[in-house]
Amino acid sequence: MFPPDLRAGAPAPPQEKTAAVTVQDLAFAYRTGDGALVPALRGVNLEIFPGEVVAVLGPSGAGKSTLCYCLNGLIPHVIRGEWSGEVRVFGRSTRAARPAELAVDVGMVFQDFETQLFSTNVELEVAFGLENLATPPAEMRRRVAEALALVGLAGLGRREPATLSGGQKQRLAIAAVLAMRPRVLVLDEPTTDLDPRGREEIVQVLDRLRAQGRTMLVVEHETEQAVSADRVVVLEGGRVAASGPPAEILTDADGLEARGIQPLASAALLSRLGLPPALTVEDAVRVLREAGYRIDPDRYAALVRSDRARSADGDEVVAVDDVTFAYPRSGPAVRGVRLRIRRGECVAIVGHNGSGKTTLAKLLNGLLAPAAGDVRIRGRSTRGQSVLQLGRTVGYVFQNPDHQIFAETVYDEVAFGPRNQGLAEREVRARVDEALAAVGLSGREGEDPFAMTRGERQRVAVASVLATRPEVIILDEPTTGLDYREQRRMMDLVQRLNAAGHTIIMITHALWLVAAYAHRTVVMRDGALWMDGPTREVLAREAELTEAALRPPPIVRIGLALGAPLLSVDEAVAVLRRT
Amino acid sequence: MDIYLYVPADTPVHRLDPRAKMAALLAVLLLAVAADHPLLPGALLGAVVLVAHAGRAWGALRRVRALILLIASFSTLTWSVFARGTTPLLGPVEVEALLFGVGTGLKLACTIAASVVFLATTSNEEITVGLIRLGLPYPVAFAFSTALRLVPTFVGAGATILEAQKSRGLDVESGGLIQRMRRHLPLVVPILAVAIRSTNQLALALESRGFRARPDRTYYLELRFRAADRVVTAVSLVLIVLALYLRLFTRALRIPGLLT
Amino acid sequence: MKELLTMWKHTRMIILVAVVAAVYAAVLIPFKAIPLIPGYTEIRVAQVIPPVASLLFGPAAAWGTAIGNLIGDLFGTFGPGSLFGFIGNFYLGLVPYALWGRLGPLSTGREPAMAGAAQVVEFAAVTLVSALATAGIIAWGLEVLRLLPFAALGTIIVLNDFIFPAVVSPVVLYLLYRRVKRWGLLWTQIMPREDISTGRGVLGTALLLVGSFGAVILGNWISISRGALAGAAGFQQFGNPQVVGQPGLVWTLVPFMVMLALALVFCRPRTDLAAS
Repeated sequence: MFPPDLRAGAPAPPQEKTAAVTVQDLAFAYRTGDGALVPALRGVNLEIFPGEVVAVLGPSGAGKSTLCYCLNGLIPHVIRGEWSGEVRVFGRSTRAARPAELAVDVGMVFQDFETQLFSTNVELEVAFGLENLATPPAEMRRRVAEALALVGLAGLGRREPATLSGGQKQRLAIAAVLAMRPRVLVLDEPTTDLDPRGREEIVQVLDRLRAQGRTMLVVEHETEQAVSADRVVVLEGGRVAASGPPAEILTDADGLEARGIQPLASAALLSRLGLPPALTVEDAVRVLREAGYRIDPDRYAALVRSDRARSADGDEVVAVDDVTFAYPRSGPAVRGVRLRIRRGECVAIVGHNGSGKTTLAKLLNGLLAPAAGDVRIRGRSTRGQSVLQLGRTVGYVFQNPDHQIFAETVYDEVAFGPRNQGLAEREVRARVDEALAAVGLSGREGEDPFAMTRGERQRVAVASVLATRPEVIILDEPTTGLDYREQRRMMDLVQRLNAAGHTIIMITHALWLVAAYAHRTVVMRDGALWMDGPTREVLAREAELTEAALRPPPIVRIGLALGAPLLSVDEAVAVLRRT
Repeated sequence: MDIYLYVPADTPVHRLDPRAKMAALLAVLLLAVAADHPLLPGALLGAVVLVAHAGRAWGALRRVRALILLIASFSTLTWSVFARGTTPLLGPVEVEALLFGVGTGLKLACTIAASVVFLATTSNEEITVGLIRLGLPYPVAFAFSTALRLVPTFVGAGATILEAQKSRGLDVESGGLIQRMRRHLPLVVPILAVAIRSTNQLALALESRGFRARPDRTYYLELRFRAADRVVTAVSLVLIVLALYLRLFTRALRIPGLLT
Repeated sequence: MKELLTMWKHTRMIILVAVVAAVYAAVLIPFKAIPLIPGYTEIRVAQVIPPVASLLFGPAAAWGTAIGNLIGDLFGTFGPGSLFGFIGNFYLGLVPYALWGRLGPLSTGREPAMAGAAQVVEFAAVTLVSALATAGIIAWGLEVLRLLPFAALGTIIVLNDFIFPAVVSPVVLYLLYRRVKRWGLLWTQIMPREDISTGRGVLGTALLLVGSFGAVILGNWISISRGALAGAAGFQQFGNPQVVGQPGLVWTLVPFMVMLALALVFCRPRTDLAAS
């Protein structure tokens, strides 16, 4: 079923005990352009054996990417810094070989698919590494076809990478590396920047590679993905904090939580109930049933009553009537959408990329005007209102903070919006102080936003919108690229804003965040509104979600298996009762 | 994002070797500017239209149709009024001036149309390989093709940045000239910062893919110089010589009575 | 200026060429819609980029702006003039870094972090020279091709390449210089000293200054005064074939073009700038 030639690049026979990769006492500190040293690894020891799949977990700044860069010689050959220790790949020290020479031993796939593609068509992208290795053209053609088939991109050889979806681009990056037949494959958060569909595509490719017995090190962004690895390595503060089989590492819910890694819902729930651990939803349900747990109807009814209490009954702020919109030279991006949002609601909009979520959001703040139908904000049609005018009511936080940050200081960045509204400098200062306090960045007005972490930059972006005091705040994937703690922190901020009276509309792919934070969920599919209702009800309709290429989060699935949708581990602990 | 003009198809024009097409394009460009009289660029434009038809490049031409019409009519009008001739026609316009205006308009229409047909029938990678085979050093060709690959990425980033800043109240359309210029800062700084930051990631990915692992390298795209390519190249070379001759050594196809 | 060639040995410099070219083209293309003199040039916000890129990335900016302009031309303005567009834009990315610190009393002798008014003045000066060099080359080239009179095009290019950058670019550079330095991406951080030409470059500086000012001033003067319309703007001459392609103008400017070409050999960028 797999092209035989690609299997040839796979592992040495199992009886061979020599490690493929040996990392000894590895320490590294980045040297910035102005000479400062920033420590990243502080003494890592690790061995990867042929045929082994190692998953690496850890919060931002734990040294995950740095470790990857050490494995193919990018450190110390391309990245400046101070290094000590030793990395050997099949016995060869990375000190002695440049990354280009190590490319046949270690293949590297990066998180950001945009910055690892160089060619103007798909075939050439896959051939690029082979051209560099001076592979004869006939051999190249064979390997390109094989690699494309392996990642499921056969037939797209002539496409321009810019026209591919995120998942396709990342699969292309993997194919481009596989074509060089590296003996070890290193993937640094290959799914982080993707939507659920794209993630699923990558997971399938990785499963296929695992089945071939390849040696892999995968830095995982989501704990769930580490379940199928042979071994899990947890990094923290530049050291290996834990290492062992998934059944040992991933069942320690409290330990993971303490290290800033999202624990598995199943493991967390079972440990709270004092039951033996399980890794998957199915196992967890089995353990719960065997222990005699079921959902207490009275307690569940109380839960549903409290849902109703938190549903807002304020005035209608957003009214979308039969709105249709199409971008030039393409089909409709949004079709016949009807939507009402009341003051004080916290609404999540979900759906895969291209389903029309972002287009819908842009129709709400006037960046786009409906081709047919009408959008009314506080009763007034957006037609004839400028983005500037609408911005006073509807604030829009874009996905990537780097697409807006430009000022020298945090203060100036946050003051940009209020200043554009023509406010006096004293009022501007008051607004900035207020906004920075809300996002927890008080006292950092003078700092350079470019030097902050991704999580902090995201909060600066939120503050810069808050400072204009909009009644409605739209957040486009506010947690992308953030680690577990930062995601929690961002969503707690969103919750506080909602409690303070802001109407929240958030676009997201992370359904566990939807379950934990949104009162109401809107599902978009192919430009149309597919589902709309209280989050509990929407997430309970598993079949319809599947049709929209979505899947309820694990805790909801555990609940559903026991008879009712549960939105968090806390809820589950509250309503489950032993009989 | 579909921003390039290339239209994939299997036509005789598409099948030509990019080097032959480059020679032909050069011949058209030089011939177009070799004389003043509209006859030559007019005939050339006719030829370009025939090639466009053979290469199914109508879609690409339609995309730049407005630009071509604008440029050609603008030059025709201004030159007709401003150029000076000897035979009065209507008001300030003389016969020779009109001829010269029409000629320059046709020259521009012809050069742009020829370039568009070239780009519609020759993919970016064929151009790159063609240039390498013509002696362009590989690193330069690599920079050129990577730039082509990155343009859509940065156009997309630029559009998002514009939307993000508009959402925060940026208005680049009102105010005085200097003020309007200054208001571009929140657009220019993020796009440059995003682009510059990507440099390190690109370098890491490039090194990991064996870039310049060894002094020699092979090429996936193989060019075949067929009989048709030889004919096209030979004819183009003759035309290039003719163009230089026309421009430098004769006054043929000039406009008599035009005051030069 | 051997760094124009030695830079191709360094992966990050090659990538910077591609990045500068792509970002320049990406900002150029949307403005293709509103041509000022259709087919030749447009109001270009993108002009903010070359001097900034030049002072950050040196030789990579010269190649980058040239290639970026060529890519921009591929979207509807490609023609015989594109050759001169390529060369002219090369100088746009070359002159600022080649002249920084070389302008005697105008120079601060410090790295171009835009610290203080004196540096902004120096920035305006080097940008003006780059705009003049570019305008001289492109306008001369189109005169050779009999497509547009020198005076009309030359003036527009100088304005485009000088006014917008002079107003906006110093602030852009102020916001980016220290950050790029922290990221370790200044060209002087990427390229080792032995790959950069050394010397004082007095001859190179002189060639650039005389070549650029001479070409534009003399070109305009001949172009305009030949029509006996001294004092009138280039626009009034625009369209008069009497002043197009005059052998006089074309040949008179040849020495200045040669000077600009020789500047490539004799210019010496400063590598001993004090931190600011």
